[in-house]
Amino acid sequence: MAELELVPVRTRILTPDDNIVDAIAEYAKNNIGPNDVVSVAESVVAITQGRLTSPEELKPSFLAKVMCRFVPQKGSLSSCYGMQAAMNFEGEWRMFFAMIMGLFAKLLGKNGVFYEMAGEQAALIDDVTGTMPPFDKHIVYGPKDPSGVAEEIKHRLGCYGAAVADVNDLKRAAVLGVTTGLDPKRLAQILIDNPFGNASQKTPIVIIKNYAEVEAKAQAKALG
Amino acid sequence: MDFLMALIVLAVILVGAVWLYIVRQGDAEFEFLVNQRTDFSLVELTDSKATFSCKVSFVNKGTQDGTIMDAYTRHLLPYEQCDAVEVSSRLELEAAPRTDGYFEALIVPKTTGETVNVTVILTAKNGTITEALKQMVDMPIDIVYQIVARGEWYISKNRMVMRAKEIAQATDRRSAV
Repeated sequence: MAELELVPVRTRILTPDDNIVDAIAEYAKNNIGPNDVVSVAESVVAITQGRLTSPEELKPSFLAKVMCRFVPQKGSLSSCYGMQAAMNFEGEWRMFFAMIMGLFAKLLGKNGVFYEMAGEQAALIDDVTGTMPPFDKHIVYGPKDPSGVAEEIKHRLGCYGAAVADVNDLKRAAVLGVTTGLDPKRLAQILIDNPFGNASQKTPIVIIKNYAEVEAKAQAKALG
Repeated sequence: MDFLMALIVLAVILVGAVWLYIVRQGDAEFEFLVNQRTDFSLVELTDSKATFSCKVSFVNKGTQDGTIMDAYTRHLLPYEQCDAVEVSSRLELEAAPRTDGYFEALIVPKTTGETVNVTVILTAKNGTITEALKQMVDMPIDIVYQIVARGEWYISKNRMVMRAKEIAQATDRRSAV
């Protein structure tokens, strides 16, 4: 009986000069079957899309310098550069309004309102140290059109499906984009133990072997 | 009019409160403790080359976590002062040694620190290194580091001096062994 198996695939460090779909084809094509789902780390997708900048390239505004002071130290927006990078994508006043609302919500005991209102990039940005060398001195944005990237992977490699995922060692997994028919929550559950490893840039691809078979059997069992 | 005045007063109080919050929050503040470094020891000696190493601790003595984006050594030995050796130097984290001279950006929580190993390689331009080292002089070495924390990034440096006497003693110790 087929079982789910997670197979991390090691690659060279991918850069903005690479195409993520070409890279998956180069390193993993022979190991991908029609029942498999290919998942790829979101930060590496973003890097191959050239969605990164550095503190030296940013000029933080007065608002960014003040607002970053209200973000807890571990957050990627706690530096004025992380905050400015998010503002460049989501808009300065949107971020400002989200922060005001977030502060009020916090006073009322509700957390997370800032990130809900500030836009996708506010939650996805990785500040300096968020990725491996040579991008450890960069701020990396979230990927563009993750579902489109997933569809492209499926189309090119003939797998059952594909996903772009944000997973870390703190048991937090979010699937940002999937091919039609896949359940992002189910995939997040499968990837929760971070099979990409701590240094996800070295193993940015994880093949979920036998996914289609296992899910079909589980559904058949559920239906009685 | 009273309403307008109340609004202005409220705005002033709000700005004052935010300013006070930021001032009280403070920022990261880094220092490489060059005055507390270990003596240079001779790590390797060949006919033409001598490699020395010492340890230097650093600390974030500020009130916020900070990131060392980059750190490197800058040795200062102009040929006008000593033309006997060529110098190369590097530093690496003691906890994560690497020999490529690349410093991986590192978050340093407030009031904590780590240690770097500073390596200096002296290569004789002519003849043997033992002979060349007799002409060696005191050599300043800056540890240069780029910091980013709550405020804007900046580059700072702390200077130590690799003493000629220290080099001679380290070489003599090795010769004696």
